[in-house]
Amino acid sequence: MVGYKIKKGILYVLLVILAISCLLPFMLMVVNSTRSGAEISTSFTLMPSNHLVENWEIMSGYFNLFRGMLNSLLVAVPATLLGAYFSALTAYGLAMYKFKGNKVIFMAILIFMMIPGQLSLIGFYQLCTKLHLVNSYIPLIIPAIASPGTVFFLRQYILSSLSNSLVEAARIDGAHELYSFHKIVMPIISPALATMGIMGFIGNWNSYLLPMIILNKNEKFTLPVMMATLRASLDMVRNQGATYLAVTISVVPILFVFCFFSKYIISSISAGAVKE
Amino acid sequence: MKLKKLLAVTLATVMVAGLAACGGQETGSGSNSDAGTKTEQSSSKTDAKGDKLVVWTLAADLQQFAERYTEKTGVNVETVIIEPADYPTKVQTALMGGEKEPDIIVGEPQMLEDFYTNGFFASLDDLGAKDFDGKIVDYVWKVGQDADGVQRAISYQITPAGIYYRRDIAQSVFGTDDPVEIGKKFADYDTILETAQTLKNAGYRIFASDSEINYFSGDSAWVVDGALNVSDARFEYMDLVISLYQDDLTAYANQWSTPWFQAMSGDVPILTAEIQNYEDDSVNVWDAESFAEATAGLERTTVFAYGLPSWGVLTMRDNVGETSGKWGVCAGPAYGFGGGTYIGISSLSERKDLAWDFIKFCTLNEETADWWIEASEGDTVSLISALDKHKDDENSVYGGEKLYSFWLEQAKGIDYSKVTNYDKFIGDAWGASIGYINTGQATREDALATFYDTVESTYPEITVTR
Repeated sequence: MVGYKIKKGILYVLLVILAISCLLPFMLMVVNSTRSGAEISTSFTLMPSNHLVENWEIMSGYFNLFRGMLNSLLVAVPATLLGAYFSALTAYGLAMYKFKGNKVIFMAILIFMMIPGQLSLIGFYQLCTKLHLVNSYIPLIIPAIASPGTVFFLRQYILSSLSNSLVEAARIDGAHELYSFHKIVMPIISPALATMGIMGFIGNWNSYLLPMIILNKNEKFTLPVMMATLRASLDMVRNQGATYLAVTISVVPILFVFCFFSKYIISSISAGAVKE
Repeated sequence: MKLKKLLAVTLATVMVAGLAACGGQETGSGSNSDAGTKTEQSSSKTDAKGDKLVVWTLAADLQQFAERYTEKTGVNVETVIIEPADYPTKVQTALMGGEKEPDIIVGEPQMLEDFYTNGFFASLDDLGAKDFDGKIVDYVWKVGQDADGVQRAISYQITPAGIYYRRDIAQSVFGTDDPVEIGKKFADYDTILETAQTLKNAGYRIFASDSEINYFSGDSAWVVDGALNVSDARFEYMDLVISLYQDDLTAYANQWSTPWFQAMSGDVPILTAEIQNYEDDSVNVWDAESFAEATAGLERTTVFAYGLPSWGVLTMRDNVGETSGKWGVCAGPAYGFGGGTYIGISSLSERKDLAWDFIKFCTLNEETADWWIEASEGDTVSLISALDKHKDDENSVYGGEKLYSFWLEQAKGIDYSKVTNYDKFIGDAWGASIGYINTGQATREDALATFYDTVESTYPEITVTR
């Protein structure tokens, strides 16, 4: 009993240390957003200072934060939802149907996972100019439909957690394929969808390179591109507080999405659905 | 049921968001053109509807110039600010992709050569830049020319380097605070070492960090005719930095760290070499309070000088605190410069004449230069007539020194032919090898061998003779 308590005690201490080391950078970020640039560059503390309003004003002088957030939402939300839905469709097809070329398609997807997107940047830009899509959000949203990483993850998840008998049962009852996908498969893989949804949202929200290249108008910039302009001033020291403030605020939607989606990350609800 | 709802909501959101994204684009551009026409209507000067310029910049300064230009001419200028580190990527992708939108693009000295060879900048000579030869400080004019001598870009500022020193210390140690006399104390590397020793004996330190002479070390080209050129001056610079470091002649602060800034406003503790390399982490150089506590027992000293380009005038002004007025600026061991924003016209621009008018407004207009000197609170412009006009302006932070005439003199000495686009990389590698020798991580031979290897493997086109 005593041994158990000691073990538990050690575990708790370790976990507390881990929690602190995870939270400290966030704390610093929040605290630094209330401090002036000069204070940040000369010292380090966890005591908030009183430059919050000043930082806000500096930041507002460079861009409209809410405009940036709205722009980022307009890109990240559709891109995430489309990405998750179509990846699930693809993954389901690859995992559950047997057809010629299945392996080849899966291998192709694996190979595309390994090619960095930055390589085709100039070509992609040229394509967008020809299609008159520069300065629009479409080139940022539509390509998200094809996300090999998500397909790979979901395929593995479906193989391990979805029993073919469930779909067969639906078929016998007269369900269409798409109907059974929506009604049976989607709920079962919702934990995996939520995981990939969070990942996808964070990725799209923080995406910097592509929006920076594709968007040419200040009022269309997504949040990360807007925030980067704070570093274009000669007076970089002064802008540090404002940068921290912008970053702090920009994290809020991610936290929100995380709280919302993490509800769905529960252990597979199909456990015990099929008797072997 | 719940999931059905979730799905329905999800799909509905996708559609709405999709529509909003497309719709937003249309309304966005709609309201833009509205705003555009409004400005055009309000300014009666403009006649043509297409009077609009698009500026892609990496320096926020240019936005102020653009606003001023709109104020003066009524031309609508749209400024897009892009983070400096990503600016070349953005411009490269856009212009190689055939983007016609930007009229004005800019570059820092180290980016310019790539921009020239890729043909991103339109020729300014075709628009009449030759007429203005001699109006701009010579080295800036040269930096803006490509390998064939065609004018491609012009900067509104000059950035020559100088030594910022404490007049009161100079007076007590050397008996004079005259910039010319003090400049002699920094005339060459041997003299600097002597000066450093004299100051140390008097209880001061010459520099806070050992990187202060860096801006003056580019006295010879790194690459000559496709071969790596490590001149004697480079080795002398290496010896100087090693001596400064190993003979305890600096305060062992790192450039841009807490003690480095603190030394501008008064005395600082003399750190040890171990603290500077972060080997001894008992002292946190980024935290003022714990720094004061940890260094309470250390001997304190006052730092004599800093080496920074002309924009350092503003950095120093913001950090000198109570020592304001006690500073002076003198020449360093060689001429050097650091940074600067060069403005040019995109070769794909469809409004080149208007863009050229904008460049003339920013760089060649005396009234703008006057305004910029005031608006930037002391930035150094490149227009010779404006510098002449302000040559008697006294800067109170620097004991009333006439800085504009000083910087003009310094700028005249800069020899731009020694700058290559390899400078940044090779310079950094050289600095790193000096660091290795200082900290004892490598012997001189090993560090030099590593340096040659790095250059050889990064730039196979450069011949390296050891």
